[in-house]
Amino acid sequence: MPPLNDGNTSGRAYWRSLDHLADTPEFRAFMHREFPAGASELLDSTDRRHFLKIMGASMALAGLGLTGCRRWPKEEIVPYAGRPEGRDPGIPVSYATCMELGGVACGLLATANDGRPTKIEGNDRHPVGRGAADSFAQAGVLDLYDPDRSRSVRREGKRADWPTFADWAQGHFGQERERRGHGMAVLAEASSSPSLLAMRRRFLEIYPNASWHEYEPLNNDNEVAGAELAFGSPHRAQIDPARAKVIVSLDADFLGAHRNAVRNIRDFAAGRRADDATKTMNRLYAFESEFTLTGANADHRHPVRSGDIAVIAAWLAGRIVDEQAWRPFEEDPAAGAVLTGELRATLEHALTDLQAHRGECLIVTGAGQPAEVHLLAHLMNEALGNVGRTIAFTPQPEQAKHSESIRALADRLADGKIGTLVILGGNPAYNAPADLDFPALPGKAGVTIHLGDYYDETATRCTWHVNRAHYLETWGDGRAWDGTCSLGQPIIEPLFGGKSALELLAVLVGDDTTDGQAIVRRTFFDLIGGEDEARWRRALHDGVLANSAWRTVTPAADRSGLAAAAEALHEASSARSIRTSGGRGWEVVFRPHPTLYDGRFANNGWLQEVPDPMTKLTWDTAVLLSPAAAGELGIERGDVLKITLGERSLEAAAMIQPGLPERCAVLPLGGGRGFEGRICTGAGFDFYRLRTSEAMSFAGGATITKTGGRYELVTTQDHHTIDVETIAGRSIQQRLPSQFREADLEEYRHHPNFAKHRTHVTHRLSLFEENLPHQAGEGDYAWGMSIDLNACVGCGACIVACQAENNIPIVGKDQVKRGREMHWLRVDRYFQFAPRNDRYDPNRVTAVALQPVPCMHCENAPCEQVCPVAATVHDADGLNVMVYNRCIGTRYCSNNCPYKVRRFNYFDYHRRGPARTQPGKLLQVETDYFRKKPATPDELKQLQFNPEVTVRMRGVMEKCTYCIQRIAQARIDAKNAYANLPQAEKEKRKDRRIAIPDGAITPACAQTCPAQAIVFGDLEDADSRVARARKHERSYEMLEELNVKARTTYMAKLRNPAAPGSGESQGDGARDESPARGDAGHSGGDAPH
Amino acid sequence: MSTLTVDNTFEDPTRRAPLVLNHDDFTSVTEEICYVNESPRPPRAWYVSIAISSILASLFGLLILYLILTGVGVWGNMNPVMWGFPIVNFVFWVGIGHAGTLISAILFLFRQKWRTAINRFAEAMTIFAVVCAGTFPGIHVGRVWLAYWLFPIPNQMEMWPQFRSPLLWDVFAVGTYFTVSLLFWYVGMVPDLATLRDRANTKIKAIAYGLFALGWRGSMRHWHRYERAYLLLAALATPLVLSVHSVVSFDFAVSQLPGWHTTIFPPYFVAGAIFGGFAMVVTLAVPARELWGLKNFITMRHLENMNKIILLTGSLVGYAYMMEFFIAWYSGALYEMFAFVNRATGQYAWAYWLMAFCNVAAPQLFWFKRLRTSIPAMFFVAMCVNVGMWFERFVIVITSLSQDFLGSSWGYYTPSWVDIGMLVGSFGLFLTLFLLFIRYLPVIAMAEVKAVMPQADPHGHDGHAEGGEA
Repeated sequence: MPPLNDGNTSGRAYWRSLDHLADTPEFRAFMHREFPAGASELLDSTDRRHFLKIMGASMALAGLGLTGCRRWPKEEIVPYAGRPEGRDPGIPVSYATCMELGGVACGLLATANDGRPTKIEGNDRHPVGRGAADSFAQAGVLDLYDPDRSRSVRREGKRADWPTFADWAQGHFGQERERRGHGMAVLAEASSSPSLLAMRRRFLEIYPNASWHEYEPLNNDNEVAGAELAFGSPHRAQIDPARAKVIVSLDADFLGAHRNAVRNIRDFAAGRRADDATKTMNRLYAFESEFTLTGANADHRHPVRSGDIAVIAAWLAGRIVDEQAWRPFEEDPAAGAVLTGELRATLEHALTDLQAHRGECLIVTGAGQPAEVHLLAHLMNEALGNVGRTIAFTPQPEQAKHSESIRALADRLADGKIGTLVILGGNPAYNAPADLDFPALPGKAGVTIHLGDYYDETATRCTWHVNRAHYLETWGDGRAWDGTCSLGQPIIEPLFGGKSALELLAVLVGDDTTDGQAIVRRTFFDLIGGEDEARWRRALHDGVLANSAWRTVTPAADRSGLAAAAEALHEASSARSIRTSGGRGWEVVFRPHPTLYDGRFANNGWLQEVPDPMTKLTWDTAVLLSPAAAGELGIERGDVLKITLGERSLEAAAMIQPGLPERCAVLPLGGGRGFEGRICTGAGFDFYRLRTSEAMSFAGGATITKTGGRYELVTTQDHHTIDVETIAGRSIQQRLPSQFREADLEEYRHHPNFAKHRTHVTHRLSLFEENLPHQAGEGDYAWGMSIDLNACVGCGACIVACQAENNIPIVGKDQVKRGREMHWLRVDRYFQFAPRNDRYDPNRVTAVALQPVPCMHCENAPCEQVCPVAATVHDADGLNVMVYNRCIGTRYCSNNCPYKVRRFNYFDYHRRGPARTQPGKLLQVETDYFRKKPATPDELKQLQFNPEVTVRMRGVMEKCTYCIQRIAQARIDAKNAYANLPQAEKEKRKDRRIAIPDGAITPACAQTCPAQAIVFGDLEDADSRVARARKHERSYEMLEELNVKARTTYMAKLRNPAAPGSGESQGDGARDESPARGDAGHSGGDAPH
Repeated sequence: MSTLTVDNTFEDPTRRAPLVLNHDDFTSVTEEICYVNESPRPPRAWYVSIAISSILASLFGLLILYLILTGVGVWGNMNPVMWGFPIVNFVFWVGIGHAGTLISAILFLFRQKWRTAINRFAEAMTIFAVVCAGTFPGIHVGRVWLAYWLFPIPNQMEMWPQFRSPLLWDVFAVGTYFTVSLLFWYVGMVPDLATLRDRANTKIKAIAYGLFALGWRGSMRHWHRYERAYLLLAALATPLVLSVHSVVSFDFAVSQLPGWHTTIFPPYFVAGAIFGGFAMVVTLAVPARELWGLKNFITMRHLENMNKIILLTGSLVGYAYMMEFFIAWYSGALYEMFAFVNRATGQYAWAYWLMAFCNVAAPQLFWFKRLRTSIPAMFFVAMCVNVGMWFERFVIVITSLSQDFLGSSWGYYTPSWVDIGMLVGSFGLFLTLFLLFIRYLPVIAMAEVKAVMPQADPHGHDGHAEGGEA
């Protein structure tokens, strides 16, 4: 039936009934398409040939394409049935643990991602670190995954296993037991572990004739001896820089090499915060040979040869304690020659200051100084009433003297009196005093057992080598510098089945408990006196046993030895004095390496690559010489020198370092390892070969000659920063006042907002309307960072923390040479030189500027405007983010970044490995990206990666993200918390943003900073620490004249030199005579141009 | 053919200097120019030079392969000098590519008839230089396989490129320039290709030339359309001559790096590009006219004219150098002043003074007519300018990047062997293409040359019998 409304398409269509509607052609077509058509096809009978064709093709496809030729990896699916309580897969968990270094333990938190430790942080419940940690602790996690670690027990170099060793040990030590340990010796590393001490007692009970030796190449022998001189028994000094108004450092690097530096830095920084109404801060005088971090942070620093420190100590003691101290030096013109000119003037200032601040001053002595200097310092501290206030002591009854200890062992070994030698960690074949000829000694014992992380210099000379478990793999305990006891728990099963010293000793003593946990528990319960499971669990959770610090005492110092000590000092110093060798001798100073420690971290890529804070040298150790010394020897950086000390000599490359005393060469230990690790091979020079047990820290009378050879030394900072002869070097001196703003305390009092006036920013008006969608005040959050230069001491722990957190690769010496290091955060180091005529004098460092530089997260980011593919953009919170997947690597962003904080992955550094030189050049083609299945980087190394952070490939730009993964985590937590609120509560907050509490986000750098110099937070939140820091009068923006509107700002540094501002009253030379003055490199507070 | 030569460099206002020498009819012109393509074998020098240059071009290719397989770390680029030789080479080659279109388009619009002898191979040079130039930004990115993200191609990510970036402008500017130059070159070549087609003595030649001659028969309508098209393309290409190097200069001028952030860059770069381009034309023309006997077409007057332009643009560039220093001093800005003083006295001072000598001092020789018309002198100056213009880009890119704001981040750039290999290899590619062009395509625009001969002038003598011949 034709529809009635045919032809009436312009008007409305009316249907008489649904049937009528159903009859329209459209509907019929629709119906046909919807059901019957398909069905009719199904009803069609497929012919046989068609069917066979289809089936045949399907079979062929199925067989060829998929199942036939492919072998799927066999996987087993295991139900996660026994899920530990509170464990969610994928959610990282932190465990408290501790790491021992040089006999001092620091409390740490180890973060594990599904059972892999990936990141170490300071334990915030630990009273010493309070959440901060040093570079060694930060880098410790990399040691765990070091592919060069010893992976098995070895017997005479051949692979063996632990049961074989245990069987052998049972037999061998059974016999030893019968001989009550006659002819047995143990050489251990210093340890504060109560369990190890208990085990040692047990050992000596079972083997009473055995001897127990202790050796650390970096030890406190002199301190102990000094305390013995003063108090009659070993004591450890517990200093409190926070309470000291005046600090005098006698060659003491209490902010750097000291094993309690993390705490010292915090306390020292606390004493320098001049932000309250009184605007007061401490004053640090440093007299030192090497340029340490302590010196870099001093208000007055004088380069003095280590041997001449005695003269200074005696002079001060002569005035503070008793004239006797100075008497032997009085008539000595050589001593008088030390105390001349600027040094004399500074010393007078220091003396006045000390006497004016009785009870709130502090004299610290370097570990390398002879015992008598320590004695003088103790006497001075006592005379100044500091004992019990800024310095206290803890008795150390079991403290061994390491040099004597290892010498005694060496003598017995040489005499063939040792049948069984057990070396518990340590590497004496590398780092024992050279005169002991230790490498030859293990062979003289009947059997030697070595426990160590690596099959290293010592291990290869031993009968047995037992691979040691990393501290993250094993149970342990230890005491901090102040005695606070921490527990260490394993985060991961030993990767290579290693054993801890405790477990090895348990076998040696035939202990019925050989399990690390049981041993530590036993000690713990002995320590707290009873099996209190709750306290054990508490301590394990907190990582620290509450109130377990040693009680401090204030022993009376014995003054009677003063005269004798002074006499001894005078004799030693004149014997050692370089002046006695006709003015041609050199002093050599052995110093701990700031990142390699004593060389044990030499195979740790992060610590090799993180630059030395002062020299900025990486991947090497070198002879440090002042520019004047270099001029005298006619050498440049990288020239090879021959150093002769006594009958020993050594060739090593020279590095020029301003601020060293004349005729003094600083030799950082820790390089030139004989161990063939993939990182440490060829890194630096082994200065242990010059170090004898008579002169463990410094020696006079060395000769240095130029050999004519060259060696390539590589730094992360160009030499222009110390080169003032060129226009470039002078220009740096000119721009410093605006980039690194600082003032003397006196100027700060008069001009609190001096930092805002260091550079002249004419205006920030723009020709165009700046369309910045994410300026502070417009988004939900506005993340920002403030770095307090007054607190920062420049230790560089933040660099390593950043590297660990953000999967930053190391690049190797060759690539650092090409300026391709990848650190997202760097610490810039500049020396300020005294002006000389219209130039600068490279031999007179007036101050050091240390400035951490992460990405500034500019609101008006120059990098974003030039990226052609929009790979770097702003996010909703105003972060300048890097979209790695979008980046094609034009590198334009880095060119346009005025702070040069962007880093480019030139090769795939994670896969490539840190080759020291580029081997094979042409042949080193990496086709990874063009193969189907990319080769993986070292699987061990992969375990360390933080799964929250992308592992960047080659050809991609990267940079600091403010640890965006941590921000995201905090935001998720805040949103979850919001979502769980009751509805009524939600309604109330509907129009407000979801608040993230201040402090909920801490980037890795801020987390580990011992000085708490880095503050991060939300600028939207007016009460946040960062918002307050930004409003602070000392706050400034680096390169603000570029109008980039940086989110990272700085707080200007303050210096507190004596006689500030009123140079006239101190005589005409006072200003010149205080060379540590902050602003001597520029004039007054005005802009440099 | 007459062996008589006439000095056409005289300046006599009463007499127009002849642009084509020793020819009084069109046939001989065709014969002589086509001989370059039709001679049974090219001069031995051609074989030697194409052997060398193609080896270098292959080296270029192999190095690119090595680069892609290994990573851009094979170059000397570093932090802070993230752009090294590749970008220096890019800007250098883009600059070379300027003279061709300038001669073709601007001189055409200004009715400079002497352009006809040199425009064809100057345009060819442009195309090949832009090919070399275009290679570098393409391979210099960290992930070459994603370089196509620079183009606004619709994609599943719904991402546009970032239009604020001068690098993106480069993509468009160079892309447009290349396209228009290629079209211009090709359109201009059609009548000459038809000539070669008509004279072809092998089937392959006939087909190949025939294909590209687009069925040109030389009818009035063809000529009419052709001249229209040529004029339009000239008008289109003219602004491009100015725009492309201006845009390339924005890569630097738009950034905020001291030494880059300079408003003088666009005109300075264009002047420099013309300067460098003409020097390259002279460099190529001198041996080419010698080897293929084209002295009757590329006469001393042509060379002298080009040398005058070199003198002019060289002086402009010298002025720009001075002005940069003046503005840096006048700005009073610490970083600006340093950037320029450091250029002249710092770690790369040798490069700066080499550049200043080559680009500013050497062309001053051309004030003297004797030197302007002396083949050795002009070859020397042209080579100086080639070196100098490369170093100009080196100075701009490297010295500015190596020492910018924060002294801690300064560095010293050293090229790697791959950098040097690629620079040399790009010359290989350029010369290979150029030598192939000389051999297989009409090297001088025959049709146009004929049009500027006195015989083509209907008011002159009656010798335009072959005027319609193409």
